Parts: sequence; C-alpha cells; structure tokens
Amino acid sequence: MTNVIRTRLLSKSYGTEEVVSSVNMIVQRGEIYGFLGPNGAGKSTLMKMLLGLVKPTGGEIELFGERLLIHSTEHLKRIGHLIETPVFYETLTAKQNLELHGEYMGYYNTQRVEEALELVQLSNIDNKPVKQFSLGMRQRLGIARAISTRPELLLLDEPVNGLDPEGIQVMRNLFRRLRDEWGLSLLISSHLLSEIEQVADTIGVINGGQLIRQVSMEDVRASMTDYVEIVTSNIALAAFVLEEKLGVKNFKQISDRAIRVYDLRISQDTLSKELVLGDVPIESINRHHHSLEEYFFDMIKGGSDHDASY
Amino acid sequence: MMHLIRLELKKGGFTSYLWGSLLAYAIIACFIMVLYFTGNNLGAEGFQNYEDALNAINTFVLATFIIYASVLLSKLIINEFKDKTIHLLFAYPINRKKLILAKLSIVFFWTFVNVVLANLLIDVLFITINQIFGYVSGTLTITLLVHHAIYVLLQAFGAAGMSLLSLVLGLRKKSAAFTVATSIFIVMIVCSSNGNFNLASIIAVPLSLAVLGILITYLSFRNIDRVDVD
Repeated sequence: MTNVIRTRLLSKSYGTEEVVSSVNMIVQRGEIYGFLGPNGAGKSTLMKMLLGLVKPTGGEIELFGERLLIHSTEHLKRIGHLIETPVFYETLTAKQNLELHGEYMGYYNTQRVEEALELVQLSNIDNKPVKQFSLGMRQRLGIARAISTRPELLLLDEPVNGLDPEGIQVMRNLFRRLRDEWGLSLLISSHLLSEIEQVADTIGVINGGQLIRQVSMEDVRASMTDYVEIVTSNIALAAFVLEEKLGVKNFKQISDRAIRVYDLRISQDTLSKELVLGDVPIESINRHHHSLEEYFFDMIKGGSDHDASY
Repeated sequence: MMHLIRLELKKGGFTSYLWGSLLAYAIIACFIMVLYFTGNNLGAEGFQNYEDALNAINTFVLATFIIYASVLLSKLIINEFKDKTIHLLFAYPINRKKLILAKLSIVFFWTFVNVVLANLLIDVLFITINQIFGYVSGTLTITLLVHHAIYVLLQAFGAAGMSLLSLVLGLRKKSAAFTVATSIFIVMIVCSSNGNFNLASIIAVPLSLAVLGILITYLSFRNIDRVDVD
C-alpha cells in the first residue's frame, strides 16, 4: 500500500451547485502533494471531506488503504490538519491549546508539544493567550498543532498565508524535513504556484471543482525544456547545417517548416550566423521559454475551456 | 466520557463557573432577605407562611439557573459553532455524539445540582433567620420539609431539561444572545407569578417541558455524524 489518499469520483454538491466534481486523486506515501487552484476551486471542501467535516454526495475516499465510512473516526488519529484560518481556544495559551489537542487526539506528550513549537520557530509566547497572537503567529501555531501528535498525513490548507518571506522559507524547509525525516505525506493547498512549486513532488491542479491534472514535478520540468524554434522553407538544409557544421544532435523537426533545437549550449547568435552562412533561408528564429506559471495557467485555462465546450 | 467532561471543564475554565454560581446564590439570598425584611417586617405583602417562602425561594432559584444554563450552553456549544472551533472538535477521533453528550451532561448536572444546592442553602439561611426574627409564623413540619425536598428535586430535573429548549433555538441562529434571550422568555412564562400562582408550581408543566427539551435536543443531534460542518 503506497497510497495515503485515494479518491474515486469524489463529488460534493450543495443543492444544484457542484463544488467538487468526480475527483480522482492519489497522494502517495512520503510525498508532498501540492494542491493548486484558484480561490473557490474546491480545495478546502475536498480537504474537509478527507477529514469527514463535509460529507461527500458522491464517490468514495480511501485513507491509508481503508475506505472511509460515515462513522469512521479511527483514521483521524493519524492525520494532522490546518484548514482555512486556524482556530484556537482564544483564552488559552499556545501550549495549553496544544496540550488540549493532544488529549483529544489520544496522544499526550509534553515533549512533542515543545518540539512542535520549536520546529515552527514560535518563540516569546510564554503565557500569552492566543487571542493576542498575530496572523503569522497563529499560522505557525496551527502548523505546530498539526504536527504535535506526530501524524502520518498532514493536510494543510494555504499554510503560508500571512507569513513573511522568512517565515515562508522556514515552513518550506520544515515541510521537506517532515517528509524526509519523519516520512510524512503532505497535502498542501495553495492558490499560488510559487508557494508550492519548490517543495511539491506532485502537483494536482483543481479548477471549478474538477481535478484537471495530476503531474509529478519531474515530468513538468522535463516537459518545460526551453528550445529555439527555427522556421525555414528548407528543413533538410537546416538540419544538415545543425548536425554537420554545429554538431547539434538534440533537435526535432516538428512540422515541414519548423525545427526545434533543444541543445542550448549554442547561442542563438551562433545558430543564426551558421544557418545564414550555410544559405539556409530563415523566416524566423526564436527562443521559447516556458515558465511554470504559464504551464499551469494554460492548464487551468485549458480546463475551463474544456468545461465551456460541454 | 469522564475524560471528555474533564477536558471540557479544562477548556472552559471551571473556576469561573463556580464563582458565577456562588454569586448567583448570594444575589438570590439578598433578594429573599430584602423581601423578608421589607415585606414581612412592614406588614405589607410578604411571605404568608413557610411553604410560601420556600416556594418563592425555589422560583427565584429556578429562574436564575435556567438562564445560567443558557449561558453555559452558549459557551460550551453555541460558541464552538460560532467560533468554528467545532471544526477541530469534530476532526478528533471521537464520536461526535459523545462530544456533544459530554457538553450537555455538564449543563444538565450543573443546573440540577445548583438548583438543589441553592434551594438547600437559601432555605437553611431563611429558616435560621426566621428563627431569630419570627416574621413568618407557622410551624415547620417534617412533612412540609420532605414534601418540599421532593418538590425541589423534581423542579431541578425540570429546570435542567427545560434549559435545553433554549439550546435548540439558539443553535439555529448560532447566537449566544438568542440562546440567553430564549431562556429568559421561558423563565418569564414559567416562573412569573400571578398572585401566588405560577406555571412552574404545577409540577407537570416543568416536567413535561423538560421531557420536551430532552426530546428535541436528542432529535437535533441525532444525525450529527452525518452533517457538514461549515
């Protein structure tokens, strides 16, 4: 069993409005899954369904290899979570909140409470009640609470909201550490790619309640290779020049008028110079750079176009 | 279950409940004394006899602790929904019904015990003072005391059950103010006296309201495992 989360055709409707629609999601053990989508795409609802706070109207959920039933609660011992804005018992201190959490979770260990507060670098809190905390501190405390019971799966909804750049960096490092040292699986949602692209192993893109795509970051990076595209009326000659004169092997003919060169060690200047010297008629020569943002933006846009065509 | 009750008390600050109750006892006692010394002393309408006095004390106690219960219900249940801490609570590996039951039992037993204890303490205080001043005539028979004790126990049960009525209505609005207002309304109907008569004195009224309170509370939480917490 390597899947921690598996949903099949998971759906949720409120009246006639479907906010999560036939989602098949797979999160593997020990990976960081970035859950990307604009606000209102259904991320929080889906995460709440995993916690049993919202009941699905269709499909099924499997957690740790076991199907979730309406009364299941046992799996909740193995999950840490931070959904939407973190809520606390405001008049209690940070430590009291965490201790109370441990008692309810059936995992009471003062050492873990201290450790969690240290990991999120929440200091100078002494005996302050939580109501005096800033947004950033509350966010850190929320994450500390989520990890204080040593869960196997962490569900974090927009976890770096309200954190300063330094805080975001601390969290990123923490997420990696949790994965690498504790073997945790993390599902982290965000509406900003920049927040998760650096830590995620897999990215799932959701829009309008539909999981548009699930891709590993490795594949994304591979498919985003930059290239130079040459448009010419004499493909054969261009190929000859590239191969024989420039020694370029990594190129591909993509139509009868265009060639893409993936070997970017040769500058665009040298390329055009050699092609002109070799009498290749050049119509255009352009370098293409695809950013991650564009990649996912296209995906989301593509997804909604797809929607509209129904 | 005891563990859950203990955690609830830890969360809500048990000592503040205790002080609240003691303060309520003191205020009721003062009020009764004012009635006793102004009414009975000046020959105006005061307490006619012991039974009258003990019933008056009971009515004040009921009114106070039905409203007190609604404050506790607001704190323990309504506010958890309003502040969204219910998201935390319902994501714990604990059956939701048990969590709610723990909260309800606190309020139920707190109200019951307080009604009984407040009656006992203030009755003793009243009887002692009357022994000294003697404004209320008549004899205090054992039969009267036993009858009154049974009456108070039934009334305490009535009050504990009735207080749940305000929860069900308050929960619909997710409003603590509405919950307390509802309980005040209930008190006004059940405890307000017209001459020597009030609805609470017909023991069947508070008892049936209590049964109704317990029943509709059960009905409103029966499906709590299946509802969305948003």
